[in-house]
Amino acid sequence: MTVAVWGVGTSRFGRQPDRSAVELAWDAVQEALADASVEEVDAAYVGTVFEAPGVAQRALSGIGLTGIPIVTVENACASGTTAFHEAREAVRTGRYERVLALGVEHLTSRFDGPITPERTDPEQASGLLLPALYALSASRYMAEHGATPADFARVSVKNSRHGALNPRAGRRRAVTEEEVLCSRMIAEPLTLYQCAGLSDAAAAAVLGPARRGEHDVPVRASVLRSGTAWDQRSAHVWGYDIVHATSARAYEEAGIGPADVDVLEVHDAFTVGEIVTVEALGLAEFGGASRRVASGALSLGGDQPVNPSGGLLSRGHPLGATGLAQIAELTWQLRGEAGERQVPGARTALVETMGGGASGVDGNGCVVAVLGG
Amino acid sequence: MTATDAPRVVADPRPVIVEQGGRHELLGARCVSCRHALARRTPRCPWCRSPVEPAAFGPDGAIWAVTVVHVATGDRDVPYTLAYLDLDDGPRLLVQLDRAAAVGDRARLAAPAPGGDPAAELLA
Repeated sequence: MTVAVWGVGTSRFGRQPDRSAVELAWDAVQEALADASVEEVDAAYVGTVFEAPGVAQRALSGIGLTGIPIVTVENACASGTTAFHEAREAVRTGRYERVLALGVEHLTSRFDGPITPERTDPEQASGLLLPALYALSASRYMAEHGATPADFARVSVKNSRHGALNPRAGRRRAVTEEEVLCSRMIAEPLTLYQCAGLSDAAAAAVLGPARRGEHDVPVRASVLRSGTAWDQRSAHVWGYDIVHATSARAYEEAGIGPADVDVLEVHDAFTVGEIVTVEALGLAEFGGASRRVASGALSLGGDQPVNPSGGLLSRGHPLGATGLAQIAELTWQLRGEAGERQVPGARTALVETMGGGASGVDGNGCVVAVLGG
Repeated sequence: MTATDAPRVVADPRPVIVEQGGRHELLGARCVSCRHALARRTPRCPWCRSPVEPAAFGPDGAIWAVTVVHVATGDRDVPYTLAYLDLDDGPRLLVQLDRAAAVGDRARLAAPAPGGDPAAELLA
């Protein structure tokens, strides 16, 4: 059975101290239900990392979605796409017919700066903030490929130009390479403008069997996996192998290759993450992603625009909401509803989210899904 | 329970480093089958799932990647240098370094930092 995205919705993204996680979820779910032209769903999968237990039930009961199975999932930054993946599997296998996938996170009420390290984790307890984990990847990448800090900064320049066109993004200002490089140092070589900001948001999708008409967007593939061990035996920087392996299975399921993808939303919580991911997805040769960024090939107007929404760098990164915001953006792109950000003629889209934080594991979870066609 | 009212006491999950005759060693493990070196004593090898046996590693190794962290976390003074140190014939270990370094530099395990983080000193 072909499963389709029937409808999507999101709240606004950004620092929203006057609105609760529950209220943000209402915005996203009501928009998604209306977009799908349904009043009810048969089940809900909800992704969040730091919200309080019961956030899903508190949110969904407020709009009358009660008495249905509700499952809350956590997979670090990939929590939202994990909810999406499980919703798609539930429809595909016939378990439920209409399923809601929701992601929600009110991060600014929990953290002031970077997300606090998890003190039960060996490396985080040793001072490894998430930006530092990505900075270590950047250090290795520069040593292996002769890349420079500017190669990473150009990802922020590109995505900020896209984000300036996205009315729902938290950061809507295009920044220059110099501004990025001169912003406050976080973990060398990554500066503040190369780190996705704390953000509050919710995003949702309604999935079901593909219906007639142009509105539904088929899900051609969705793959979820956790990382293998990551240590001195690993050939690549942290997070490369899990994205590569997950995408290989997704390409196989969809019957396409990297060159067939018209538009992508990928995990750019930190600039180096987009560089490594673009290579792991096969869009650039090993060490070649920074050249494709610099050439404009991955910008709006280029061959394969990556993060036309502005990515996490522009939206902000409300962990649970991120993956479903990526799904929403690609749904709009494939329908031709993306406004100034529209990739002309986009027919095949790929979403990738990878979340991590557990020491010695090459990513807690990664989802790669192919939409359209 | 929320992140802010979590229990105050948790077991220290950081790698165990001890001083033996003036040298600092990491108390890790080695897989009895594939001989993979592990920075912690887990029940099984994460690569081949065979049992492991206790093993000590260090003190010397090569820096695989390094960063200088400029935002505070816990009681650490900023900036502080973090590196993945690949111990010779041993596991990859996250350490605080005494100064900035480059990929490939040699370093030696040292006494843990004041807060207890694994630490190493650059050689030469």
